Amino acid sequence: MNQHPSIQLHATRREFFGRTANGIGAAALANMLAQTGLALDPGNRPHSGNPGADPTQGARLGGLPGLPHFAPKARRVIALIQNGAPSHADLFDWKPELAKMHGQPVPEHFIAGKRFSTMTGQADGKLMLAPIEPFKQRGRSGAWVSDMLPYTASIADELTFVKGMHTDAVNHAPAISFLLSGAQIPGRPSLGSWMNYGIGSEVEDLPNFIVMTSVSKNTTCGQIFYDFYWGNGFLPSKHQGVKFRGSGDPVLYLSNPSGMSRQMRRDWLDDLAQLNQRQLDDFGDPEIATRIAQYEMAFKMQASVPALIDLSDEPQSVLDMYGPGVEEPGTFAHNCLLARRLAERGVGFTQLMHAGWDQHNSLTTEFYTQCRDTDQASAALVMDLKQRGMLDDTLVIWGGEFGRTPFIQGEFNNRARWGRDHHPYAYTMWMAGAGLKPGLSYGQTDELAMNVVHDPVHIHDFQATILHLLGINHEKLTYRFQGRQFRLTDVHGRVVHELIA
Amino acid sequence: MSVGFFPLLSMPSKTLRQALVPLLLVMRIPCCAMAQANQPIDFSNQIRPILSENCFFCHGPDAKQRQSDLRLDVEADAKRTFKAGDAEASELFARITSDDIDERMPPPESNRQLTRQQITLIQRWINEGGTWEQHWAYTRIAKPDVEATHAIDFFVSQKLKQNNLDFSPAADRATLIRRVSLDLTGLPPTLDQLDEFLADRSPEAYENMVDRFLAADAYGERMAWIWLDAARYADTNGYQGDNERTMWPWRDWVIQAYNDNLPFDQFSQWQLAGDLLPDATQAQILATGFNRNHPINGEGGRIPEENRVDYVMDMAETTGTLWLGLTFNCCRCHDHKYDQLTQDDYYSLFAFFDQTPITGEGGNAQSPPVIAIPDQTQQERKSNLENSIAKLIDQRNQLGEPDDNPRFQELEEQLKTEQEKLKSLDRQIPKVMVMADMPEPRKSYRLNRGSYQQPLNEVFARVPEMLPPLPENAKANRLALAQWLFDPSNPLTPRVTVNRLWAQFFGIGIVKTTENLGVQGEPPSHPELLDWLAAEYRDSGWDTKHMIRLIVTSQTYRQSSKTNQRLQELDPENRLLARGSRFRMPSWMIRDHALAASGRLVRAIGGKPVNSYQPSGVWEESSFGNKKYQLGSGDELYRRSIYTFWRRIAAPTIIFDNADRMTCSVTTYRTNTPLHALSTFNDVTFVEASRLMATDVLRLKLSEPESLDLIFKRVVGRPIRPDETQILLAALVRTRNQYCRELESAKSFLEIGESPASGEIETVTLASWTSLCLAVLNLDEALTRQ
Repeated sequence: MNQHPSIQLHATRREFFGRTANGIGAAALANMLAQTGLALDPGNRPHSGNPGADPTQGARLGGLPGLPHFAPKARRVIALIQNGAPSHADLFDWKPELAKMHGQPVPEHFIAGKRFSTMTGQADGKLMLAPIEPFKQRGRSGAWVSDMLPYTASIADELTFVKGMHTDAVNHAPAISFLLSGAQIPGRPSLGSWMNYGIGSEVEDLPNFIVMTSVSKNTTCGQIFYDFYWGNGFLPSKHQGVKFRGSGDPVLYLSNPSGMSRQMRRDWLDDLAQLNQRQLDDFGDPEIATRIAQYEMAFKMQASVPALIDLSDEPQSVLDMYGPGVEEPGTFAHNCLLARRLAERGVGFTQLMHAGWDQHNSLTTEFYTQCRDTDQASAALVMDLKQRGMLDDTLVIWGGEFGRTPFIQGEFNNRARWGRDHHPYAYTMWMAGAGLKPGLSYGQTDELAMNVVHDPVHIHDFQATILHLLGINHEKLTYRFQGRQFRLTDVHGRVVHELIA
Repeated sequence: MSVGFFPLLSMPSKTLRQALVPLLLVMRIPCCAMAQANQPIDFSNQIRPILSENCFFCHGPDAKQRQSDLRLDVEADAKRTFKAGDAEASELFARITSDDIDERMPPPESNRQLTRQQITLIQRWINEGGTWEQHWAYTRIAKPDVEATHAIDFFVSQKLKQNNLDFSPAADRATLIRRVSLDLTGLPPTLDQLDEFLADRSPEAYENMVDRFLAADAYGERMAWIWLDAARYADTNGYQGDNERTMWPWRDWVIQAYNDNLPFDQFSQWQLAGDLLPDATQAQILATGFNRNHPINGEGGRIPEENRVDYVMDMAETTGTLWLGLTFNCCRCHDHKYDQLTQDDYYSLFAFFDQTPITGEGGNAQSPPVIAIPDQTQQERKSNLENSIAKLIDQRNQLGEPDDNPRFQELEEQLKTEQEKLKSLDRQIPKVMVMADMPEPRKSYRLNRGSYQQPLNEVFARVPEMLPPLPENAKANRLALAQWLFDPSNPLTPRVTVNRLWAQFFGIGIVKTTENLGVQGEPPSHPELLDWLAAEYRDSGWDTKHMIRLIVTSQTYRQSSKTNQRLQELDPENRLLARGSRFRMPSWMIRDHALAASGRLVRAIGGKPVNSYQPSGVWEESSFGNKKYQLGSGDELYRRSIYTFWRRIAAPTIIFDNADRMTCSVTTYRTNTPLHALSTFNDVTFVEASRLMATDVLRLKLSEPESLDLIFKRVVGRPIRPDETQILLAALVRTRNQYCRELESAKSFLEIGESPASGEIETVTLASWTSLCLAVLNLDEALTRQ
């Protein structure tokens, strides 16, 4: 019995697992705990969840046998999703020809047979719009980044730019769903859920898939963060992303009711466990053992989450790095710093979503706010991870659900209302860390940033690559539902090995 | 031939059998695979699943995907691949056992591989003659003979005997009434109900108790939850804007229909096509709101036709799942990979629903066609107003020359006022989105990869070709489809629906995959039982209460749910039913249960949805402040969960493990996570319910052990045991001491919830007992139906 995983997991509750209830074998219990995501892999130590302790070596809760399929490059992912679709032609995809054609109609052959949103309707005759700020080549790599993003530009040598991204969807919700779950229609598991299902968790007192959302102040954006963006789809619901809220308890129902102290709760949990243990002895249902364990885990989370969000142990230099607003819950900067703290604690998948990038008529106005509110903290996160030696095995990704039209939306002579419409045919994302080739710009669009002409990377390729970095063969991580084996990449996806060092 | 490659195959058959038996016994697989090695191979249960999983992808129904022009899903084609009675001389067997990578099936790049056991099964099947059967779910239902008084027990005990098992003893009576009460009404038994049943020693005591719960109003509410999940019911559109809709009169209709025991065929036909019935009543039209429960996308830039096609697909797929148990959605883009469903079949089913005049434009939550459903008061006010308007018009018309008559002006004024009143009343009357067919039929097309802008060939409304056709003279519309679902020639509807009903009472279906009875679904654990139940449902005139009565009066259902090591290892999922089922209640039921145990549950039925307790800011955060949560007050806070407002973009936070109400879902989720523990331990609902329960009990001024006993009866429906009393008495002393030291904490603990704390009971006492009740509500036993 000493090898029983639950004893390691719940040392304080040793007595409950030390006994075998009604003759239920350790094997049955372990099996059941594995099914509920509680068991540790045999031979592995649990991780305390404290920063400082090395969470690396192997302890895992849940996950599938045989995974990872091969040695992973990334042990955790931080996804900085920019909802609304940042304009690639204004930020990363420098096209001198586009600048030259400023104000001229879009050449017909660029748009033949293409579908745009109803806001554009027919693209014929739309006028080209030059990038609104100058571009420069950056660092040793010479990657092109606009002056709109000075902090990102300053770390260009750390980043891997994927400039040939393209997608199938033309509207936000379906496109974000496609990016995160591989399907435009809600109902498939999202990336973080797949990872949690396949690889399991290294952390026992925090959820392993955490979502945080933000939006720039005073933006006119009305896009909603649908919970299917971090949905578990048909996977068991414990794989759903847990959304940290920007106000009140970061996790719903985290705080004890007022007037119920932590000590009282502890005492009641002990009583409850005793009573439940009697029920377990009587009924022999392993689910009861799981329930006891989950109440314990909840108690631990009540301590670990407040510790996580308490930034008082961060030196001023670090706070400064992330920039203004970092101490204000609900801002992108704050969320970036929390993402680093989560990574330190071993959380596998942290998904930040920042809305407001939908510049239909705000390219010369709100677009600046968007850049200002995300640029510094995004770069700080990468450098903070690097200085802590964590960038090597952390994958950071940055980008939106599609690009924006290189031609104008709105009136050409009304600069204050310039905009760009949705553009699924080409855009840029960047990645960092996790054994990628830093400084690489991969893929190329045509002279107007309209279509990918070299090294296209489809959403499914992008997803296959992320899974690959996690040590997962995207064709082999499947789940049977409605009579068929589903996977993140459907029947598509190519691992883009060219991105990997 | 590579027999040597598989050492098992070279064994003499008796040795093989001995080698396989223990293997089969310890495997954690559905019991259909637990068949004894000495029984003949059963093609449907043992062979087709292997072929389907490993071969159909390339050698199945999908013509585009098909390799070498070979189909293994069709008898004639498949039989060409083997020589009946001689596996060694069969191409099929040679290919699955070949050492040669280029010959070997399935090919390595398919990521599929047969196990040794599967190869053996195929070998035996060929050697036994290679008999072929149609997929079980598509065969006609023949009602099997039963040599016992209770058919369910007859089939279940047969299977138990085959596995050297027997029924567990019956659960004790207190457990039974709580089980029945929760299963039939979603509420725990009241103390009176408990006492009445425990005191009733007559032989019919149990049956009578069941009948009382079946007759309760709460029955309809309990049944409706599952239907609302399947029907993707919500109180808003979803998506950006997420406008409020008023579909709740439809929800009330569902509850009423269950309580009236409307036969399931009518229940279904009204919802699918009530508008097309001759002289359709208001209720029959209201019922068709079912089809309109899909989300509506009002996102800027969406193309209306794309939306409209999405909605129609949703209607067709919901019908396919709910009545036919088929995964039709696979055929949006291509022929089905496993079932004999073509993309043409999909769009022909789609065509039935394609005749609705909805446009797909904008985010209007009352987009036509709609029906106004006034409540009784509104109906009366409306008639009165209409009468008075008619009278005024009459009077005015009798006046003759208008211009110089002051009376005319007066009447005009009055008329205007009354008409304004009527308009304003009309605005208040809920409009429910319902179905209609356009007078001019719309042409429907097969859509390339499901894209609205890529129509291929024209299609016409018809049912899937692999199933019996519509009657020859039927007009191919929704009504014909709805009637065809219940045609005796259609074997799917009764199997699919009775299987779901079964799952409600056992936690798992006879076919585990309730959403899929197709080739890739799991075979039934008790095929004959499923068929008997299906036939009985049909023969009873689709009498749902009759079926439920049958199920819950069986010995199978009444067994104790205690388990042991042997059962746990042999049959962890309890597919053989050697014990009663035991599972955590759904989250909505946990809430209703706590409210009922507290004594504060409000038993009003129907009406507008209400906003129950929810941490502040959840709607606001999901909608950038556009949707403000206005917490309900008074009775609204204590109504059953089915009346809680369901915002699609931010579902009620107290509900977990539920269908997401975005698309049709018939799958039950049951997980066990720390987040659930946090909600039942910390949410206002449970803290306040605990205080109300404690107040109720303490008012009786019983001894402490008696009070504890009463609390146990209210929450878990049984007397407390001495060891439990001991633990809780000690806990009380401890808690009381803690609150004596921290009086302010006790006070603030009692302030949780809208209702004021009772002044009759001293603060420390009430706070201590409240915290005790909160712990009791969090007992595993309290959260579980066992």
